[in-house]
Amino acid sequence: MPPLLIIDHHNGIPAYRQIMDQLKLQIATGVLPAGTEMPSTRSLSTEISLNPMTISKAYSLLEHDGVLERRRGQTLVVRERSSSEAETNKQAHLRKHLTEAATMAHQLGISHAQALKLFRETLDSSTP
Amino acid sequence: MTSTTTATAPLLFENLTKNYAGQVALNAINLKIPAGHVVGLLGRNGAGKTTLLQVAAGLVLPTAGTCRTLGQRSDLLDSPELTRLGFVMQEAKFIEWMTVAQHLEFTASYYPNWDRDLQQRLTGILEVPVKRKIAELSTGDRQKVGILLGVCHRPALLLLDEPMSALDPIVRARMLDVILERLRDDGCTVVISSHLLSDVEKIVDWIVALEAGRVVENCALDELQESFAEWTVTAPDGSPLPAFTAPFILTQQRSERLVRLTVRTSEPDAVENFAASHGVTAQSRRLSLDEIFPLLLAAKKEVR
Repeated sequence: MPPLLIIDHHNGIPAYRQIMDQLKLQIATGVLPAGTEMPSTRSLSTEISLNPMTISKAYSLLEHDGVLERRRGQTLVVRERSSSEAETNKQAHLRKHLTEAATMAHQLGISHAQALKLFRETLDSSTP
Repeated sequence: MTSTTTATAPLLFENLTKNYAGQVALNAINLKIPAGHVVGLLGRNGAGKTTLLQVAAGLVLPTAGTCRTLGQRSDLLDSPELTRLGFVMQEAKFIEWMTVAQHLEFTASYYPNWDRDLQQRLTGILEVPVKRKIAELSTGDRQKVGILLGVCHRPALLLLDEPMSALDPIVRARMLDVILERLRDDGCTVVISSHLLSDVEKIVDWIVALEAGRVVENCALDELQESFAEWTVTAPDGSPLPAFTAPFILTQQRSERLVRLTVRTSEPDAVENFAASHGVTAQSRRLSLDEIFPLLLAAKKEVR
């Protein structure tokens, strides 16, 4: 099954960037485990109605970032990563969202202590 | 311009000017359309989009300068180029008394490379009423016929002038898929003019913007999207904000404690640097093509 990707064409974020972010997240959360084969540029282009150039740009940047690797010449697969590397990636992902929240906290004039308390409460209430 | 670069660009305009009764429609256009791209041709009414495509297809002769289409001067296009060129006009001229099926048959007879299987498949996908007379078709159905006639000979260069304006959203989406398929199967270069920016945004990877007969933008869509942003700026303690001046600021709207800037910069940490140097907080949001388009034209006007 091809990875589930949904491209929003109105949010101004380039489509290649959206593909990269979604694949990185699916890899970080284990939805796409190491060794998973990526669909070809051509078939993904058909699947999500996107310019094949956009997809190959996303793929080659992910390859460059070490997220994907080429096997047997052609097939792109999710690269095996050490647990510390995977952990760093997960944290980088969360940090991005926290940075936005931090800016919002500044704009709202919420103190550090208040913001931390709020995050702790949110964590507790959303834990299953 | 060397002969090799001429050969690789499916469309090349050199100092191309077109006047209509003393009115300048295209003003010294220099433009190279790269092969294998889907180019969105943007511009307001009267900016020159249709004239540009008509010159490229050889339907309109230049006043000065040249246009090379598939390597040949566009005023000298002949069968070797015309069989590899697809042109879907805004208001296509058909033979009105024919049925759609007859018209397809008639047009196919001019093209040795006409793909009947493709014709059959697209007729189904786009729900083309093949038994109806052309004269009886709705505007939307006429556009569908225009597409069929433009792509079934599997052109190397496809020029589309507002091809979807009368189609419903479902057929529009299918039509975009049809164009993408030509790109995948044939490596076709596509130039598409449209007012429906959000539609075009799904498939184009390159943007050419025209304003008053001049090219005001010619760059990759990704680059365009990544250089424009809207910043929401506040002072942390609620104190009044100064007026901001920087070359990358395009517009600013302000209330007492909030400023909204639209900016164009390719610097990766621009918003962080701006916030740090002014002692403010700033949040950045990307803009859609619909939002970028007016800024593009306004910014260029100030420069000139």
